[in-house]
Amino acid sequence: MTPSASPSTPPDEADVAPARPGAARAVSGPLFSRRSTARAALLYAAAPVAFTVAAAAGGRLSVEGLGAYLPTASLDVFYSLLRMVAAYALSLGFALAYGYYAATRRTGERVMIPILDILQSVPILGFFPFAVAILAAATPHSFLGPNFASVFLIFTSMAWNMVFGVYESLKTLPAELKEAAETFRLRGMLLFRRVLFPATVNRLVYNTVLSWTAGWFFLVEAEIFTTNTSSALRGIGSYLSFAASAGNLDKFLAGILVLVALIAALDFAVWRPMSRWAERFRYDQAPSGESGVGVPSSDRPGRIRRATHYVTRGVRVGMTRIRTPFVQLAAITARPGKPSSGRRRSLVYYASLGAVLVLCWLLLIAIAVAILDVFTSPISGTVRQQIDLVPLAMGASIGRVVAAYLICLAVSIPLAVHVARSPRAERLGMPVIEVVASFPATALFPVIIFVLVPYLSPNGAAVLMLLTGMMWYLFFNILSGVRGLPPDLVEAARSYGLRGRQFYRRVLLPGIFPALITGSITAFGGGWNTLIVAEYLNLGQSHQLAVLGIGELIDKGNALGGSGNALMAVALLTLVGTVVAINELLWKPLYRRAVERYRYD
Amino acid sequence: MAIIRVDRVDKSFPTRHGTISIMQDISFQVKDADFLAIVGPSGCGKSTLLRLIQGLDHPTSGTITFRDQKVDGVAKGMAMVFQSFALFPWLTVSENVAFGLEALGWDPERIASQVERYINVTGLDGFEEAYPRELSGGMRQRVGLARALAVEPTVLLMDEPFSALDALTAEGLREEVLQLWRDPQLPPEAVVLVTHNIEEAIQLADRVVVLSRRPGHILAEVPVDLPRPRDRKSGPFYELTDRVFSLITEGGAVASPLGSGTPPAG
Repeated sequence: MTPSASPSTPPDEADVAPARPGAARAVSGPLFSRRSTARAALLYAAAPVAFTVAAAAGGRLSVEGLGAYLPTASLDVFYSLLRMVAAYALSLGFALAYGYYAATRRTGERVMIPILDILQSVPILGFFPFAVAILAAATPHSFLGPNFASVFLIFTSMAWNMVFGVYESLKTLPAELKEAAETFRLRGMLLFRRVLFPATVNRLVYNTVLSWTAGWFFLVEAEIFTTNTSSALRGIGSYLSFAASAGNLDKFLAGILVLVALIAALDFAVWRPMSRWAERFRYDQAPSGESGVGVPSSDRPGRIRRATHYVTRGVRVGMTRIRTPFVQLAAITARPGKPSSGRRRSLVYYASLGAVLVLCWLLLIAIAVAILDVFTSPISGTVRQQIDLVPLAMGASIGRVVAAYLICLAVSIPLAVHVARSPRAERLGMPVIEVVASFPATALFPVIIFVLVPYLSPNGAAVLMLLTGMMWYLFFNILSGVRGLPPDLVEAARSYGLRGRQFYRRVLLPGIFPALITGSITAFGGGWNTLIVAEYLNLGQSHQLAVLGIGELIDKGNALGGSGNALMAVALLTLVGTVVAINELLWKPLYRRAVERYRYD
Repeated sequence: MAIIRVDRVDKSFPTRHGTISIMQDISFQVKDADFLAIVGPSGCGKSTLLRLIQGLDHPTSGTITFRDQKVDGVAKGMAMVFQSFALFPWLTVSENVAFGLEALGWDPERIASQVERYINVTGLDGFEEAYPRELSGGMRQRVGLARALAVEPTVLLMDEPFSALDALTAEGLREEVLQLWRDPQLPPEAVVLVTHNIEEAIQLADRVVVLSRRPGHILAEVPVDLPRPRDRKSGPFYELTDRVFSLITEGGAVASPLGSGTPPAG
């Protein structure tokens, strides 16, 4: 029996199921089949080897030199790992506590969820002032200050998504399971141990893997960011950044090798077994090994509805579920046919609540900036000039993100259609895409600067780096959308002779619309977060990337220190305001529309 | 003597479009050794009524007493079997059966022997360590049944327990439930079964409470005096079924003074 075939399964319960079994199967077996594991292992091994061989063949690498750097690189990666673990432990505790209270207390829902909505829609860069304030508050050259700051930043990239995982699992726990717990009078610890915690495990594990992928990205970004200041953090990001700026290829490659090895080891030793184990905690009663093949087509609509609703569940980059907190929240608030508990609030209510919270947020940033002593140090002329550039810079950054987005879109749609249609392409291509996507692209940014800037214009390089931060979100979402197209709709279109452009316009694009929107939202989020390293990277005099943009101004302000903080603050406020406005005015309405109009049921 | 008294119970829910009355003026009793079935068309509030009895929800007005105590909050001494089984997918069969006993604070050894007993009684031996998703629908509902019986309830509440099963499996399980019911060694002193299947009600129950369309009210209490085992093809069985059926189809239209229900379609 499939979950959707069970007449007693309320539709929303099914939403919790990790995507269609078919989608999961198609990516890598029920969860991680042995074969996909073997392929991934091969790829993880092959990538650095190929890299090394290519470099050696180019005569720019000595193997002994590489070996000599491995111990330092390992130590630095280990420091980074410690930060990741610390940030993750914080996030987990925070997610369980916050998610639990938000889901079970009425006030929690009214207050805590809107707060989270604001927190998650602030690009992670928006948290930089706090990180810098932590830095400034610590004694100079102390060990703890920079570490706290970076752990805090990684936390902001990990936590929200996990909170939503907990919140949503608890909110969507089937009513009858709750009643069963109630009829047997479970209370307190027993209730937590037997029901509430297990209910969150499946989503928590999925979101954990996502959080770690995002965390690596920001860890590297945060460490590179600190290399502009006096208190550089020791870790793989700064290691790579220094190696690149010293032009030391041996050192750089050693770092990449160790990082790949660690990510692969975590994948095999932790995430894969953990995901397998988490299968047990799914609510639906489908046999876990069920494949999409041979399922009667009458079952499909239910699944497809699920697949489009939770567009990205179960689709992974490496093992990444590509759903930012923004989409998770939108999915909760825009869930059709299920009026939110309590009264329905008007749009005005939400808009004004949002506005108030944004104001509070801006005020907080202003306070953080004040702590930084900005207003006591006079603003220098250069800084003032730069501040005048902020609106222009914001426009330029939007332009770059949009350009990168359009390129992603142009690549992703045909590629996703191809992969979804051709089992061969899927078998061969997906493991490659998964492995590549699980590696933090930020670690390779120095290479992009060295190798590509001479060929591309600085703007081209910046857009390329943005691409790496956006591409996967869009691709994997569109892929799950294409896979989720109801076969009978596709057949109907065929039988009426729809072909080519007409097919795209009438069937494919409307069919994947919700997935497309989800992917776009997440891709844009990724783009904003990449700006800070994509627009400004200083790797020594000869290798510098600086294009006018909001990320660049933030970096410059940070590097200048003193009254430069004012520049950073103004640039950040502009960025946060712009992003929140785009989210509220463009993506939320689009998402609502997607969920309401382009569903199959 | 009455174990459960339902006395002039009304239930309504506030919605966006005003208050919707689910049931009005419901009164009946569940007596010792009673197997009571509640039948009615879908949406008449049968399942809500069961949840009111258990104390999962409160009546808007009227009272429900269980062993002369007003039901206020989830009552001890009753256990529910759910339509969708409501098994915890992360617990094994044994752990699911032990679920209610843990909440009662029994010590582990006592739980283990109780679990073993009810796993045997319900024919689940050999599946102790299986997870619910590895079981067929029929087996899952056995776990639901074992879990409910294991806490040795005075009253067993069953909410459409066979509706999610295919016809053959349902028939087999009904027979087994009857056998368990007849076993004097086993706990429930009374059973309340909610179903929309009239034949099922008449096959199993001693009395059938017939509810009307929404807002549900009691159309009749029909005693089932047929000898067991009951033959579905016998004349008296058919007559009773027919009578309940006509009560529902006609009663829904006639007996609704507010005219809220349109005449039933079929």
